[in-house]
Amino acid sequence: MTVAVAAAVADGVLPGRVWIYSNYHCNLACSYCLTDSAPGVAKRALTADRMVRVAEQAAELGFDAIGVTGGEPFLAPGMAGTLARIADILPTIALTNGTLFSGARLAALDALAGRDIALQISLDAADPDVNDEARGAENFAQVIDAIPKLVERGIRVRLATTVGDVAPHDAARLCALHRELGVADEDHVVRPIVHRGRAAERAIGVHATRDDLPAELTVTADGAYWSPFGPTVRDGRVDTDLLISRTTDPLAVPAELLLRAVEGRPPGTDTTLNIR
Amino acid sequence: MSRVELLGADDAPLVARRYYDEGDPGPIVAALAQVPEMLDSTLAFIGAVLGPSSIDGRTKELVILRTSAVSLCRYCVDSHSVVALDTGVVHDEVAALRNVEAAWTATFADPREAALLGWVDAVAGGRGPVSDESSARFKAEFADHEVVELTLLIAATLMLNRFCTALDLPTATAVLDRLRRERLA
Ligand code: SF4
Repeated sequence: MTVAVAAAVADGVLPGRVWIYSNYHCNLACSYCLTDSAPGVAKRALTADRMVRVAEQAAELGFDAIGVTGGEPFLAPGMAGTLARIADILPTIALTNGTLFSGARLAALDALAGRDIALQISLDAADPDVNDEARGAENFAQVIDAIPKLVERGIRVRLATTVGDVAPHDAARLCALHRELGVADEDHVVRPIVHRGRAAERAIGVHATRDDLPAELTVTADGAYWSPFGPTVRDGRVDTDLLISRTTDPLAVPAELLLRAVEGRPPGTDTTLNIR
Repeated sequence: MSRVELLGADDAPLVARRYYDEGDPGPIVAALAQVPEMLDSTLAFIGAVLGPSSIDGRTKELVILRTSAVSLCRYCVDSHSVVALDTGVVHDEVAALRNVEAAWTATFADPREAALLGWVDAVAGGRGPVSDESSARFKAEFADHEVVELTLLIAATLMLNRFCTALDLPTATAVLDRLRRERLA
């Protein structure tokens, strides 16, 4: 059956990226946060070795990329070193709010230079007030400060913009800004707020069903899910509607269940909302 | 109330969803849905052992109901009292099987059923080795393949009994209403 998973990835039936939720806590508390993250929430953290093991098993199963997300991954001790280990196994994207890169944490990022890894930082608007309304005071300034430091270190930076509705004019300003900061057009992703987690509590965002979401296998401390939009948190409870299995080791268990759930689904049905 | 969250249709994991297609799947499924990868294999096992097989339904319900009574599982005793009635076990037999304080011997005079219920009481009610005496009586009435299947039925029922009791699964209102109407509640 593991051969079937590899074939499904090779044929594009299963997406190639496996996502890992390193932890759920965050130094920010954005208005639309899918995981209802904030400084004091349950951490639901995976250890560094556990994350590396997921990447090893993903590679063995035939997956071809890793994504690390949270919460804010860089709140976990030694995250730069962990990401370097993961990136040595498979090409990696790590999602971060980009507000923690100073001092020792910034220096530790040298481990990522030259490795096949990109840090995807969130920035929602070219206007600081608009951005900071959703993501917190000073967020815009901190991100603008951080990006050039990463680029200088030879680290690939992607920019993720999460918006309810970007007016074309603002989108153009944002693109001009990311080019100025050294982020290429292909490294800027724009996606909608999804009506899950805190966004659902606040009644914002687009409603996404299973078929709107790419079937990217996603591993958390609570189990394996269909898509990184699966293990969202609402009122302190991790959602179960997109749960695949509680077993995540061996990774073949959820991978095979995910494949079974995907089979028969027409290709391309996950692209209509551009939820990536 | 249940000791774990029983997942409703909106929270049902992907691989559990088909069990909700025809409405509330009951508390055993709604609890198992918390660990969706266990659902198919557990329900297939329960279905194979407790469901229709080469052994007739009445015999199986005698075993399930008596095992559940001996292990003091409220949920399974109530649920299977209704199933037993629907399978043709009569009111007085159901009442006798439910009652662990009084002997069932007056109600179940048939030697085959008496041997079976003696085996159930010995297996479900005891600890350690099962006596040669109850085994001899049971084996005098049943072939080896029936001994195996009925003993597996007792064991599977005990597993369910402890699962339902430990998690304090709620009895369906429809079951409680029926038991009241039948004067078994
Ligand atoms: S959206 Fe990201 S940065 Fe904002 S609170 Fe959630 S995890 Fe933290």
